[in-house]
Amino acid sequence: MEFVLDKKSFARFVENLLSDESLDVEGVKEKDGKFVFGHLDSASDLRLDHDVTLIPPKKYFLPQYETILRYDLSKPFSAKAEKEQKGKVLLGIHPYDVAAIEQTDRVYLDDYADEGYRRRRDITIIVASDILDVSDRSFAAAMGTHRIYSGYDLLLTDLGGRVVVVVGSKKGKLLLEKHAANLAKAASPADLGAADALRDSVEEKYARVLKVKKEKWVELLEHSYGHPLWGELAGKCMQCGSCTMVCPTCYCYDILDETALDATKGKRVRTWDGCLLQDFTKVGSGEVFREGNTERFRHRFYRKGLYIPKRYHFTACVGCGRCATACLPDIASPLEVFNGLHERRSESAGGMAYALPETEKKKKRFDHMPACATIEKVEKLTGMEKLFEISMDDGDAFEYDPGQFVEVSLFGTGEAPISISSPPSGKSSFELVVRQVGNLTNKMHALKPGDKVGIRGPFGRGFDVSKLEGKDLLFVAGGIGIVPMRSLLAYVLDDRNRDRFGRVILFYGSKTPKDVLFMDEIRELEKKRDVTVKLTVDRCDEGQCWIGCTGVVTSLFPQVEITDAENTAAIVIGPPIMYKFVLKCLETLGIADERIYVSLERRMKCGGGKCGHCQINGVYVCREGPVFTYDEVKTLPEAFE
Amino acid sequence: MSEKSKPRVAIFDFASCEGCELQIANIEEEIIDLVNLVEVVSFREVMKEHSDDYDIAIIEGSIVRPMDVESLKVIRKNAKILIALGACACIGGVNRLRNRFTKEELFNEVYGKTGFGDNPLFDVLDETKPVDGIVPVDYYIPGCPIDRNEFKRVILALCEGKKPELPGYPVCVECKKNENVCVFEKGQFCLGPVTRAGCDAICPSHGNSCEGCRGLIYEPSNECVKEVLSRYGLDYEEMTRRRNMFNCCGREDQ
Repeated sequence: MEFVLDKKSFARFVENLLSDESLDVEGVKEKDGKFVFGHLDSASDLRLDHDVTLIPPKKYFLPQYETILRYDLSKPFSAKAEKEQKGKVLLGIHPYDVAAIEQTDRVYLDDYADEGYRRRRDITIIVASDILDVSDRSFAAAMGTHRIYSGYDLLLTDLGGRVVVVVGSKKGKLLLEKHAANLAKAASPADLGAADALRDSVEEKYARVLKVKKEKWVELLEHSYGHPLWGELAGKCMQCGSCTMVCPTCYCYDILDETALDATKGKRVRTWDGCLLQDFTKVGSGEVFREGNTERFRHRFYRKGLYIPKRYHFTACVGCGRCATACLPDIASPLEVFNGLHERRSESAGGMAYALPETEKKKKRFDHMPACATIEKVEKLTGMEKLFEISMDDGDAFEYDPGQFVEVSLFGTGEAPISISSPPSGKSSFELVVRQVGNLTNKMHALKPGDKVGIRGPFGRGFDVSKLEGKDLLFVAGGIGIVPMRSLLAYVLDDRNRDRFGRVILFYGSKTPKDVLFMDEIRELEKKRDVTVKLTVDRCDEGQCWIGCTGVVTSLFPQVEITDAENTAAIVIGPPIMYKFVLKCLETLGIADERIYVSLERRMKCGGGKCGHCQINGVYVCREGPVFTYDEVKTLPEAFE
Repeated sequence: MSEKSKPRVAIFDFASCEGCELQIANIEEEIIDLVNLVEVVSFREVMKEHSDDYDIAIIEGSIVRPMDVESLKVIRKNAKILIALGACACIGGVNRLRNRFTKEELFNEVYGKTGFGDNPLFDVLDETKPVDGIVPVDYYIPGCPIDRNEFKRVILALCEGKKPELPGYPVCVECKKNENVCVFEKGQFCLGPVTRAGCDAICPSHGNSCEGCRGLIYEPSNECVKEVLSRYGLDYEEMTRRRNMFNCCGREDQ
């Protein structure tokens, strides 16, 4: 359905929109000689001749600062989701930005649909407009995003004296009927021809050319992981993060709690974050993953050209050129970087091929509102760790797989991902072991039975116990790695399940005798005939009593004979440094990579594969992990860094 | 919170304009919340009372005189937690500009022939220092002046037994979120890309460029600096001069 409005009628249409109190009308307008999306006060504010806006319209779906809930600390557990929202009309969105919105829709709505995003998307009407002026740094034509055939409710083509309007959806049709009833006329073939000619002519305005088609980026990047270009460019990078802020396809975020000075009222805020920033991967204990500039710089391009294409089957760049404009040393443009890699292909080094681990597609809803839970029991395990039994206040069975984690929420402090330490029980309660390392875990340690906490989850992929059935199981734990392992170990050793598994061997290494977790339970295990337990400590300080071995956990391997390596699965969980050595021992034993299970720790902030913090190359620890087979992650350079 | 458990706070100033303390006084309606949260036992700018019994010491100003060093050491000894308040205390700030001169040059320039003899009030250190140049600092509230919201955040976190954290990213992040035209694009020099955020990019958002008052978080490579300056037609001296206003390190920076 196509219509045409003369310039005056179009202005009337916009004025009609502005006078509709149920609508918030936002559009492209001028700011300091550039363009931004902002509130329109009159039809004359609207500019359809813009080249590009400073930041993309993603801000309407993922605002720079979004209050996701409000809490009240004067009550045991009080949180309210923010639901203020008026209908919105966005005027003047360029085709490449529409393409970008279609991408974020896929990420935010297809799987683990984000409630806030969905709500804002539902109430927004997208009025796109064809490109009249092209930004110098844009390469939308090379990306095929300079014109669009879908993704809009209405599409405007400004032909000077008149505006052609193409209806793209029912929402768009209704808007036009309501606000341009006597203004819009059916477009003539001549109008349509002129609009088409204008769209065709846009392509010629783009000067920048891709030397390697976007369909070939995956292949290019699979062979360029160690390319010297990354280091050369990263050396010039200021790490200011501007490229990610202005990008219409970047959608990573952080979440912060802000409490007012009255120490009771506060809000949880979601805000834009960027993988280029230094603290992006910092976990509660202060550890930073992907620490080098080069690695972070490279990561952004790998997301655009390899990681997201492999996951969602689209290239995460629409060629708007905003990053290139915003980058002071001018090293941010994917066009130039990929062209550079292509031209210098002979210098390529270091492959980066991987398959995305299979996960169950759960089309479930996802939001940041935690459910209320009560602390039932607190037990001090060591000077650093406490065990908490937590039950969900709704009383429903809390179902999970061994190896999964939950997000524990304390209003005013934030959230932290914590592994579940108890076996699935079918009850509404479960156990967590919390090590005191940061603000949230410090607060957690001060809690008592009866106190309330928020819980989101369970999240991630745990152990697939069906694959372990019939196998001998070798458990190798280092330090706090025993915590998620305990969930599986207890499940396997449960009388109801025990005969489905073979022999059980546990190697457990701790720093000192004081750091050994669950000593009483381990002593019980030692009494069982079908379980072999070997313990070791790195060192035994003077005055401490220790009967087990001294040395790193790998020193336990010679002590037990693995009789049937072909039919043995190994479960390895420990600090990053431990994996390298244990994996070598397992290789010597002849345990195949697909039968080695590891659980990896990163900054799992959202739990739904969106915020980006827990990414290990192309996989999300919160979705495909935290449990992986070694086979799945061995080609990921960032897995065991 | 009972009266007893409220942390006792003392606010002190050294070489500074006291503008950061004024920011505290200007918290206005929330000042009631602040005094519900903490007990202010010393705050020369707004009250007569004084006590040396405090948990948290907040220090404004940089350390210029030998006698200041001694007072600061006493404060450090008295306080469980010490906070540096504002650019002068955190990084030395504008006071450090004098470090390009020797003590003698400085005296000559400022007081001329008059001189002040042995009067300790006028005796200065060889170099002006930030607070952590003399005693360990637990937390920093940067800026010239400080950001009131950040001050509130830090105080609240401490009262709740948490470690306050400052943004670990530069001003550009906040500036981009605020949809400003880049200062460089306007042909001016800006320290936003290397300055710690937390001010909500207040200067660029109001048409000025970032002066780096919150301290630099990243030292870009020379190659990068050259590239940027030449791309925007700016010169190295201008950049150094601008950086030195708040982030002058010493004589080598002239």
